[in-house]
Amino acid sequence: MDMKWLSWFASYENTKPLALVILFVTFVLIVLYVYGSKKRGERLETYKYMPFMDDESESKEDKK
Amino acid sequence: MAVTALSSTEQYNFDIVKKFSIMTMVWGVIAMTAGVYIASELAWPFLNFDIPYITFGRLRPVHTTSAIFGFGGSALFATSYYIVQRTCQSRLFSDGMASFTFWGWQAIVVLADISYMLGHTQSREYAEMEWPIDILIEIVWVTYLAVFVGTIMRRKQPHIYVANWFFLSFILATALLHTFNNLAVPVSLFSMKSYSLFSGVQDAMTEWWYGHNAVGFFLTAAFLGMMYYFVPKQAGRPIYSYRLSIVHFWALSFLYMWVGAHHLHWTALPDWTSTLAATFSIMLLLPSWGGMINGIMTLSGAWDKLRTDPIMRFLIVALSFYGMATFEGPLLALKDVNALSHYTDWTVGHVHSGTLGWVSMITFGSMYHMIPKLWDTKIWSQKLVGIHFWFASIGVLLYITAMWISGILQGLMWRAFDQYGNLQYSFVESVAAMHPFYAMRAIGGMFFLTGMVMMFVNVAMTIRQARGEAAELEAKMSAKMVKSGMAGA
Amino acid sequence: MFNFKHEWIETNVGLLLVLVMLAISIGGLVEIAPLFLIKNTVEKVDGVRPYTPLELRGRDIYQREGCYLCHSQMIRPFRDEALRYGHYSLAAESEYDHPFQWGSKRTGPDLARVGKKYSNEWQVAHLTSPRSMVPESVMPNFPWLEKNELNISDIKERMEALRKVGVPYSLTKSEYQANVKQFGAATAEMLSIPDARKNLIAQAESGNYDGDPSRITEMDALVAYLQVLGTMVDFSKYDDDAFVKYR
Repeated sequence: MDMKWLSWFASYENTKPLALVILFVTFVLIVLYVYGSKKRGERLETYKYMPFMDDESESKEDKK
Repeated sequence: MAVTALSSTEQYNFDIVKKFSIMTMVWGVIAMTAGVYIASELAWPFLNFDIPYITFGRLRPVHTTSAIFGFGGSALFATSYYIVQRTCQSRLFSDGMASFTFWGWQAIVVLADISYMLGHTQSREYAEMEWPIDILIEIVWVTYLAVFVGTIMRRKQPHIYVANWFFLSFILATALLHTFNNLAVPVSLFSMKSYSLFSGVQDAMTEWWYGHNAVGFFLTAAFLGMMYYFVPKQAGRPIYSYRLSIVHFWALSFLYMWVGAHHLHWTALPDWTSTLAATFSIMLLLPSWGGMINGIMTLSGAWDKLRTDPIMRFLIVALSFYGMATFEGPLLALKDVNALSHYTDWTVGHVHSGTLGWVSMITFGSMYHMIPKLWDTKIWSQKLVGIHFWFASIGVLLYITAMWISGILQGLMWRAFDQYGNLQYSFVESVAAMHPFYAMRAIGGMFFLTGMVMMFVNVAMTIRQARGEAAELEAKMSAKMVKSGMAGA
Repeated sequence: MFNFKHEWIETNVGLLLVLVMLAISIGGLVEIAPLFLIKNTVEKVDGVRPYTPLELRGRDIYQREGCYLCHSQMIRPFRDEALRYGHYSLAAESEYDHPFQWGSKRTGPDLARVGKKYSNEWQVAHLTSPRSMVPESVMPNFPWLEKNELNISDIKERMEALRKVGVPYSLTKSEYQANVKQFGAATAEMLSIPDARKNLIAQAESGNYDGDPSRITEMDALVAYLQVLGTMVDFSKYDDDAFVKYR
């Protein structure tokens, strides 16, 4: 089998665009993952209440 | 009620948070005083007084180190220890190690400041500490990482809250940057002097990779962590979009590390590096604004809080300055703009719209929220918080306006030609033209410092008031006990 | 499809740490590592040499006083900078600079080629009292430089430390010979660590930089350093765009 095409990756000029393509694809995948499905989105949004989870003890303190 | 207060201090280690909060106030006053002083030295050079220890060149690192590592660092330790405990609902992993990070970190900043005044410096901007102090930083930092990760591992929540992602990213990145930027060979075991491992172009790249990411992670990612907790808490509503925080967290962590070379446009650094850095700098605008939008939109539907709540005002103005500074950053990273702006005061102004407008303002807001909770009382004077806000805002605006004008003026004077193709101005004519703006900058700084002093007083009085309340409560309790004891008899 | 959940990362601090580390490592690796590997990064030019012992001590003082905070040493390739400061700076010109002193701010002018532009007397008077020479200057006075005796007790240790990071100061005969070949006999002599003390004193006495031959002061060292800045490469030997390809 001809493996010469592999040398394309070893050439310095090609690595930068290649890296950019890989990273851009990763970015698009992340965005698709996060915003792609309504159900998943709703699930993710439920985690934003974390800072308020220990409020119970705090509001007791405030009441005194 | 006393029982719940007691259980809260048992549940969390607030003692360490209190210590770091107090030192945030102390370093704030020291750093801004040093800043106003060196700004005045540039406007009125007699202030150097021919004393080696306080000349501009030795005092400037005292200002930057006290501000970034003293004020900013203490604020980050305080808030990160507070946030990680409250969002994980578990006590810090180790009180002893946390206490070590406190004393270690304070020693680092004090030793660094003294050593600069005595003339010991690596001459790497924002990493001027010589090698013995660098080693101490490394030890304290690894301890910090251990305390932070250890606390997360003990969490009662299944999820790690987004603020803690930013803190983790900041701790890891700072460790990486600090280690590689400070590789040096000391002259001897008993000498403070060292020579950096790298030289020339490679050394410059390493330093600015560090320098810009000190901004990116120490002064941005970490303060975003602060924002992700305190803005929702103060607004009483959750962050605008959790999904946006996922995207902008990963994008920010990834992109920042590429942009350092924009500090070296048009230098002997190869073109490919600075072009790459410029490209990434522009991309960085998106995640930066993602953070700003997420913070500001948290308040959507409750905008009236801006009128009534000075703490909210600090937080939202901080985010606005963050948005502005992260727009200006990519602009300055464009090679054509940079050709004009580099080496001028424009850069200094840009840095301060970040450090005064964003970092300090978000710290002020967070501290005003957190300190009464820590001491279980109310802020001593709400009115003074409002006045502080106006002093700080006027201070920043004077500062950055002065630097915009002087920076652009400098850049234009340096490149001006007369009709015969000769340089129109000598260098010193540009220096003379700066004088009014240097004076204006110093005055802006004085406003900001005055605000800081107000906060210092307010916090000190709040703590005093809390002690008084605690003593009163105790007296009441014991009186009750005596009474009930007598009744029993 | 592969059913990824961001929750895996959010609930697993180990995974979070690894992924963050990955994300923050790539940028530095791609931009910094090649600078050490690509030969074109630092061009080959004649004349660039390590600092003599006296110049080195001057450079230490330049750092100590924080000069780099107001003076750059990096001329950019623009017409105005060429007229004001001279030929744009080359990477090779700072290849022995541990650390680099390119600076980031010009509160004062660039100093990359300040060497030989002013007399020693001017430099001494200006450093001691800048406004006596340039009334509009905002530079601090440095009167102690003339008064302080130069500390030369650890000059050899300093050069040995620099040798460890790659500066060709010579300890052995063969290193000395290599320097003769690369820089010529006169320079090689100045780079010899065993003779450092002798060479430093000799240069200070013959140069008499501070105008006071009776003692060697910090002023001697600093002026010796300033006077060599940017003078090592003879640009008249090169074409106008000889260095463009390295950019």
